[in-house]
Amino acid sequence: MITNRWTTADRRGFLTAATAAGVLLAVTACGTGGGGAGGTTGGGDANAALTVWFPGNSAPEIELVTKKLVPEFEAANGAKVQVTFVDWAQISPKLNAGFAGNSAPDVFGHGPAAAAGFAAAKRIEPLDDRVAALPAEDRADLEPYLAGGQVDGTQYLIPLGGNGVLVAYRKDLLSEAGVTEPATWAEAAEAAGKLAVRDGGTIQRAGLMLQSAKIQRVQSFQALIGSEGGTLLSQDGRQVTWNSPEGVKALEYFAGLYGGDAKVSDQLGRDFANQPAGQNPLATGKAAMVSATAGQVLQMVKAVPDLASKIGVLPPLRSADAKTFGGATTGLFVNADSARKDLAWKFAAFMVSKGVNERYAEAVGGLPVRASAAQGAYVTGQPLLKPFIDAAPAYQGSPNVPAWVQVRDVLDKHLEEALAGKATAKKALDDAAAEAGPLLAAQ
Amino acid sequence: MALLAERGGDRSAARSRTGLRGLRGTRGTRGTSGRGPTGRRRLVGLVFTAPVLVYLAVFQLFPVLYGFYLSFTSYSPLDRGAPRPVGVGNYTALLGSADFLKSLRVTVQFVAEVLPFAVGIALGLALLANRRIPGIGLLRAGLFLPRIVPLTAVSLVWLWMYSPDGWFNDLAASLGLAPRDWLLDEDSALHSVAVMRVWKALGGNMVLFLAGLQAIPGVLYEAAKMDGAGAWARFRHVTLPGLRPVMVYVVTINIVYLSQSFAEIFILTGGGPLGSTTTTNYLIYQEAFQNNRFGSASAMAFVLFAAIFAFALVAMRGNGRK
Repeated sequence: MITNRWTTADRRGFLTAATAAGVLLAVTACGTGGGGAGGTTGGGDANAALTVWFPGNSAPEIELVTKKLVPEFEAANGAKVQVTFVDWAQISPKLNAGFAGNSAPDVFGHGPAAAAGFAAAKRIEPLDDRVAALPAEDRADLEPYLAGGQVDGTQYLIPLGGNGVLVAYRKDLLSEAGVTEPATWAEAAEAAGKLAVRDGGTIQRAGLMLQSAKIQRVQSFQALIGSEGGTLLSQDGRQVTWNSPEGVKALEYFAGLYGGDAKVSDQLGRDFANQPAGQNPLATGKAAMVSATAGQVLQMVKAVPDLASKIGVLPPLRSADAKTFGGATTGLFVNADSARKDLAWKFAAFMVSKGVNERYAEAVGGLPVRASAAQGAYVTGQPLLKPFIDAAPAYQGSPNVPAWVQVRDVLDKHLEEALAGKATAKKALDDAAAEAGPLLAAQ
Repeated sequence: MALLAERGGDRSAARSRTGLRGLRGTRGTRGTSGRGPTGRRRLVGLVFTAPVLVYLAVFQLFPVLYGFYLSFTSYSPLDRGAPRPVGVGNYTALLGSADFLKSLRVTVQFVAEVLPFAVGIALGLALLANRRIPGIGLLRAGLFLPRIVPLTAVSLVWLWMYSPDGWFNDLAASLGLAPRDWLLDEDSALHSVAVMRVWKALGGNMVLFLAGLQAIPGVLYEAAKMDGAGAWARFRHVTLPGLRPVMVYVVTINIVYLSQSFAEIFILTGGGPLGSTTTTNYLIYQEAFQNNRFGSASAMAFVLFAAIFAFALVAMRGNGRK
């Protein structure tokens, strides 16, 4: 007869479960070290190495920054710089932990959408005086992108690069279908209907595929609502305006691409923007037109050189207006608690200096932030970049309000419902407005 | 045998009583001074265990207690001030949070989908691996392989397998079926993650069951055979009861791990589509590190803790019954 060992096993198992659950809590309990206003990395030691965190894990960017640009800066300034690249998904959590533990870097890179939140918490240094001290020629050269780093008119971020989303298309597929290049969103939808290849209810080749993965769908919606003449938020950033008739029209257009009898696209929600470039539906021929950034288009051509002559890029498509998502992408912030603010600023200024910034843009496959770079070797050597440079006046970035990240996630959730056909465009936008309103009001 | 056991039990109890008396005597005479052999032993024991105790206190206990404190506050790591007390506000807010309640449902569904297969198939594999057949070492190693591959790496491989041009759609095409977006369809995303998680859990569970099987005395099987028990009867009346302690452990630890699922969700689905794979642990991550609401995230963590504790307790009680 087997004796019942329940009692002992029960206790052991119970202890194991309790210990494991304790570890879970230790991991998820979000412990912090409080928020003193003391010094940051290096404490008050102004002679310690300048610490810089860059977001991303692009090998060419890491190679250029760590092996060339930083040594050049160190040699020119007699300084020591310690650079760390942090994966984009981890940059916010790491910065939060750094701020809470007084170990945030002197300089850090992030997107403009983060600026308002950092500024509201007084974690970043206002840079107006330092920008004003730049030579007039430099200021004029940087002017187009500087606005993307401002919160309520104060400069907090120095944009390192720009980017924009335009519709790229396959010349060969349009030619086969006898379709001319569309100039408006309505023409694009009509062309997509002719370009889409269907097999029963399945789309074999998408006619027009807008980026619809998480967060990307907010950017696509922003391009559409901007083209309809609408906005996401009011001018002061305190009220939702996306549920306007323009917003509803924009979302109905977006959802219509993926649903209903006239749908022209599949792969709703797929993050093809972050897939290997060779797997982009435009590169594989599974889509005739896709929304893409300059970097994605260049990467596609790099991955599949035969595409160089087959890919074209449309100017911003028009409806009531011609707007698209774009502007400054990554930029550098100076930590308000840094003990080396002068050196930190020198580093930021070095990264956007003439020549250096063009090299940086080439490494990351983005747009240089200096207007003069349009005549540089990088831009002139890449014909596919020209439409993105020309489209700069049509670019509009994310609203610079402290609660933007949370508001964006709310909007994203409801856009997804509309795109999946779970809610009408009007209801989704109204629900999103009702949920986001209190977040904006509490700023 | 019963008599022997009883006698043995008596002797053991007598030894225990004697030992206890002796210990009490020692305490009474020398232990009180703190300088006798027992006192020194205690001091030495304390010195040797101190590093671990300090480690546990600082890195395990303190974060838990601090997290519990945070759950009653409003706190953003960007704020310079101290956490602001809000009483039980974070907990009451969770009761009305549709996202949180949905995440609990998703977590329970995920555990319920993975657990029976992760345990049942692992038990079957352990029975197979316990047989003395040629090449059994290789089979065991092969079955254990998923266990030693990091979950993140496994998730990336399965991400490709579920992609439009991946292995599953190739398989579907070869069977004449239409391809589908496994991870982008609300109806299939959680099941797809569950399939991957079952595969990942098999190796570890199998090894535990194998150890349990090998600890069952062979004489029991021989006795059962002599009594005329067939294969099923031996499994039912010898193997399963013999595996009960291991079963309790495996089920409990799987509930604890699966309830905390994060990495596979983060990589495969990012919580989508339409929140259909947003487990509570993933929501905690978003709340803490996307929204910077550590107080609310901590409250979620403690509710999750309570839920896991309850699940584990029920599992142990259920499995522990005769």
